Amino acid sequence: MSAQLWAVAVAGAVVLAAAGLETFRSRRARRLAVRATAAPAADPYIVYFTGDSCTVCKTHQEPALAKLGGVRIDKVDAVEERALADRFHVYTLPTTVVMAADGRAVHVNYGYAPAPKLERQLADARIGQVNIATA
Amino acid sequence: MVDHSALKVNQTGIIATVLVAFIGSGLWRPLLVLIPLLAIVLLLGTFVPRLALFKQLYFQVLKPRGIVKPRPVQDRPEPHNFAQGLGGVFLAVASVFLIPLPVVGLALALLVAVLAFVNLAFGYCLGCQIFFQLEKRGLVRA
Repeated sequence: MSAQLWAVAVAGAVVLAAAGLETFRSRRARRLAVRATAAPAADPYIVYFTGDSCTVCKTHQEPALAKLGGVRIDKVDAVEERALADRFHVYTLPTTVVMAADGRAVHVNYGYAPAPKLERQLADARIGQVNIATA
Repeated sequence: MVDHSALKVNQTGIIATVLVAFIGSGLWRPLLVLIPLLAIVLLLGTFVPRLALFKQLYFQVLKPRGIVKPRPVQDRPEPHNFAQGLGGVFLAVASVFLIPLPVVGLALALLVAVLAFVNLAFGYCLGCQIFFQLEKRGLVRA
């Protein structure tokens, strides 16, 4: 039974190391992506990176985006539009980028982002917009 | 269109088999043979889908009897097949290590079960993400 216990320890260490690496990668990508820009618009909007190989996009992310109502969603195929995907450091699908009206990336979500989280991020982007307008 | 219930049954089969081999082999060592057998099942199912044991269990038994309801989703089968093949390769490598280095073999098998569980419970498919990265670099084509 000791082989089983050691195996649990080894597998646990690998899982922890992978989770740590993923967190580091995600933070680094987010830090770089938040500096990126896209086209300005009248209101904050979302750039949604997806692809044919992404199942969570279809089962979770798209229903969440549909709940946002009248928000503009720019759907981008990350495989076809590689340059744009690289600009936002897209390394996993789905990736959602909340853009301020002036075209700045305000929040970047690697992996599934639920509707309430996106709503909060859009509210942030709107507040930023008001701050700029009243400054 | 991909029936996601078939994928879930496949993942459940992988988790159950690895757990039986992992825990059972502590009591009765020959149960370790389930790991190479599972590797063969996964690799066969990747290249010849009609030989995918757990999916056939779903399509021939569980679905017709209404035990598991179908859940068709607009999806592509290639990333899932790739993920299954990757699981099969990991289990094949695990099988090689089972006799000389049982800790390594069991740890690799356990990792496959953990990834299948993450996919089953949270819908995160690591193999599909690797497929996306390879596709982005033009290394695989659907």
